Amino acid sequence: MRTVPRLPDQHSFSSRLRSAAVSARVGTVLAVCFGVAFLTGLVSHYAQNPSQPVPFPTSPAWGYRLTQGLHVISGTAAVPLLLVKLWTVYPLLLARPSLRLRRLAVELAERLSILLLVGAALFLLVTGLQNVSHWYPWAFSFRSTHYAMAWIAIGALVLHVAVKLPLIRHALGHDVDDTALDRPGATQQGALSRRGLLRATWLATGAVVLATAGSTVPFLRRVSVLAVRSGEGPQGVPVNKTAEDAGVTDAARDPGWRLEVVHGERSVLLGRDDLLALPQHSEELPIACVEGWSATGTWSGVRLHDLLDLVGAPRDSEVVLSSLQESGPFRVTLLPANFAADDRTLVALGLAGAELDLDHGFPARLIAPNRPGVLQTKWLARVEVRA
Amino acid sequence: MSPGRLVLGGLGAAVAAYGAWLLWSRREPADVLDAAVWAGGAVLVHDVLLAGVLLLGGVVLGRVVPRPARGPVVAGGVVLGSLTLVAVPVLGGFGRRTDPTNETLLDRDYTTGWLVLAGLVVAVVLVVAVVSALRARRHPRTGDTPT
Repeated sequence: MRTVPRLPDQHSFSSRLRSAAVSARVGTVLAVCFGVAFLTGLVSHYAQNPSQPVPFPTSPAWGYRLTQGLHVISGTAAVPLLLVKLWTVYPLLLARPSLRLRRLAVELAERLSILLLVGAALFLLVTGLQNVSHWYPWAFSFRSTHYAMAWIAIGALVLHVAVKLPLIRHALGHDVDDTALDRPGATQQGALSRRGLLRATWLATGAVVLATAGSTVPFLRRVSVLAVRSGEGPQGVPVNKTAEDAGVTDAARDPGWRLEVVHGERSVLLGRDDLLALPQHSEELPIACVEGWSATGTWSGVRLHDLLDLVGAPRDSEVVLSSLQESGPFRVTLLPANFAADDRTLVALGLAGAELDLDHGFPARLIAPNRPGVLQTKWLARVEVRA
Repeated sequence: MSPGRLVLGGLGAAVAAYGAWLLWSRREPADVLDAAVWAGGAVLVHDVLLAGVLLLGGVVLGRVVPRPARGPVVAGGVVLGSLTLVAVPVLGGFGRRTDPTNETLLDRDYTTGWLVLAGLVVAVVLVVAVVSALRARRHPRTGDTPT
């Protein structure tokens, strides 16, 4: 046995940078990022949930823009933080297992929880970055799988904090160069001091945020050279799905298009001219995509509740909106009663002072305050009061 | 373990179990497997590939880069490495195939953007390295430069 070369274990790593003192500091910021991403993710999930025991509020109009922007920004910021965090604790991955059975069982349980945490955390960051750029090289549903993994990650994170709490408290309560928690033998000076490594980590975190956040923070547009969107688009607003990709070009351009407004037995058919003959209103509202990008537009059109009046429906009716799209997960969406009753909720016919662009939902689309972009139904075909 | 930590740990385990149940109960087994492959694959890519590359990078750093420049080079590597990983989806432009007619998606020149960022990082690293080398030469015995 003695002739076999020694496999690397935690003592093979001698850098004093790979220490609990650094790990606890980076981990704390990382936990804040994951906490923000988790909470804002819950908000987004709830906003898209068809059944809401407490109605999602219509105000502030920019609420979803803020929470979903934060969701993607905090997830992006977590990339350098997670990588540095994993680097600092990497020697523990190769730690020799205990030979005492009880001790071994505890070690295995902890390793399993760490595997869940790291696996779920990497999954969230990788698939999140891919989803933002519309890159789907997998078979599972992104939204529901990202959601389930988020619960695994946040649960495993809370468990991890509980296990490590005394260590974290000691590390944060002492100077970063304190050696009490260091692995034996991890005394070699690195290329950087511990403070230097922390500064480099914060710098990297700031850099990835600045390089991408312009998708949702207008004044960063010029700086964010890696943002998935420049913020430009027809009528000054980006597009999530074009009419051509949605396969609605012909149906949307059809001069015979009519919007059907239905309430039980009563219904009316309205062409664009009929809609333009109704009282017109203009609202400055953001379109905020679940992918984190957002832009403000000045939308004009008919108040949704004015249409409900035409078919004798109460203003605070739950409304089902259907698109001309023939397929797609958001072809039919539900508009909660408080959104239908809000004055700012429009069936928009124009944007930025001109006729609505085909890619923004011509002939008519929904635009409501504080609503996820995927639910702002484009190329409207039917507005039906839910019985 | 204090009661507070036990409660916190139990809560975390329960929340993670809820997530596992969500993952398992609401989709086909093939999709669960696909998700597990992505999560496990990400762990392997990190623990083997990325960690290996970083270890190798450390060895190269020690042999190739002069001592006063190592700190700035590592800091620059952390920044540029993070930027590059975050940029993989936009540099590859893979999403353009999902929405071929959407001109507002991935509508920047990402290669130029990345080159500008890389140039900036390299320039700052060079300046800082030269300044610390000059300082080290002027004050050879002061230990204020991390080694």
